Amino acid sequence: MKNVLNYSYYPGCSLHASGKEYDESARGLFKALKIGLQEVPDWFCCGATPAHNVDELLSLALCAKNLELADAVEGDLAVACAACFSRLKTTQHKLGENESKRKQVEQAIDAKVSLEKPVKHLLEILARDFGLERLHKAVSKPLNGLKIAPYYGCLLTRPPDVPQLDCTEAPTIMEQVLEATGAETVPWSHRLECCGANFTLSRPGVVLKLTGDILASAKRAGADCLVVACPLCHGNLDIRQKEIEEATGEEYHMPVFYITQLLALACGVSPNKLGFGSMIVNPMPLLKEKNLI
Amino acid sequence: MKNIKNTKMELSQETMNVGFIKKVEALSGSSVRRCFQCGKCSAGCPMRSFMDHPPNRIVRLIQLGQWERVLAGRSIWYCASCETCSTRCPNKVDLAAIMDALRKLSWDADGPSKESYVQLANKLFINNIKQYGRQYEMRLAAVFNVKSGQFLKDLMLGPKLLSKGKLKMFHSKNKNLAEIEKIFSRIEEMRKKGDAP
Repeated sequence: MKNVLNYSYYPGCSLHASGKEYDESARGLFKALKIGLQEVPDWFCCGATPAHNVDELLSLALCAKNLELADAVEGDLAVACAACFSRLKTTQHKLGENESKRKQVEQAIDAKVSLEKPVKHLLEILARDFGLERLHKAVSKPLNGLKIAPYYGCLLTRPPDVPQLDCTEAPTIMEQVLEATGAETVPWSHRLECCGANFTLSRPGVVLKLTGDILASAKRAGADCLVVACPLCHGNLDIRQKEIEEATGEEYHMPVFYITQLLALACGVSPNKLGFGSMIVNPMPLLKEKNLI
Repeated sequence: MKNIKNTKMELSQETMNVGFIKKVEALSGSSVRRCFQCGKCSAGCPMRSFMDHPPNRIVRLIQLGQWERVLAGRSIWYCASCETCSTRCPNKVDLAAIMDALRKLSWDADGPSKESYVQLANKLFINNIKQYGRQYEMRLAAVFNVKSGQFLKDLMLGPKLLSKGKLKMFHSKNKNLAEIEKIFSRIEEMRKKGDAP
């Protein structure tokens, strides 16, 4: 295992706006763990779901361009957003096995595509490169007593041959990382279900139904809070939670944390630097109750 | 449902539209013909209840040459690309990729689908990339509301997100924006020449 870890970093669009607490806490956590993180200069949007939905070539070209830009920065590419992660990995996968698509993309970006740099989700870096044992040792404020429902959503694990982060139908990487901090994770039914993703803009009714089911399942399992690793899942679970409560008559008040927020808290990063204030469902009462702040 | 039961389907070499099947297979890189209708895709589909045709029926309709019904319906636009179907298919039919191919065919033809909001959202999202290089969530939501005529949609959410710093009023363009513009224009050029789908 390497002692000094350095990564190039692709935050993605959401982490500069609606998911800024994910960016803040990821940087805070990596700094505390002494892992280097250097943002790729002038990266572009990966195209996300809308681009591949209607224009595969555009989607592949945008990601290939980003991979080219990332080559200028040293270290494997660390990606925070599950959707960006999925698109970049899909691009590497498709262009690696399909000669004619690769040629089209090369023509579109007017450069050779470079597929060598490993693309890694933050979870992968924490659990595998850094390692659970070291992570456990770095914990100065154990999250004892916190019952967490870890939510994977779609794109961290599916389809099987693309992200290769963990088992597709029964992943445990989030549980392992969270349990290294002393937190308790609950077994629950909806951890791999879709939250409705970008229908939040076009058809919010879809999100109210799908995300509503996820919240209900987490509550049934006795969780205090949800933990996510995707800004879109976060937006749906956190920002739309009040609307879901109004529509269903259920009360959740369930804080939705980015995994890096809780890990950073456990590793001694000041709570003021973790963006708790910008979450819509206020996490402070829960954190106070559990003596974590 | 009623429509489907009452519509007589005549099968022949012509009505099977094998050309369309091949087009979808080439675009998606997945077999359409291998599907044997086990229904596992529809069983796991989170969006099934919002669709007019469930995922397995989409494949069946295409196999039978009934692609016009697929493209005219709203199912393809209600697919969330969650990849559950492709993950679970016992025959390795990559249905999520087939959905992408069908949307592209409908999109390129400026298709007759009843679902316009999802298409509008996609269009604005891609336009944002072209204009700014990155997503600009505030503009995306505002323009969507205006163009879809839903001026009051999520009205209470905007100020709340702004006060939490989750929406930015102003957005800076990428310094290297010209490179993205070139990618868009090269792709357009390639398509004109028939070098790319």
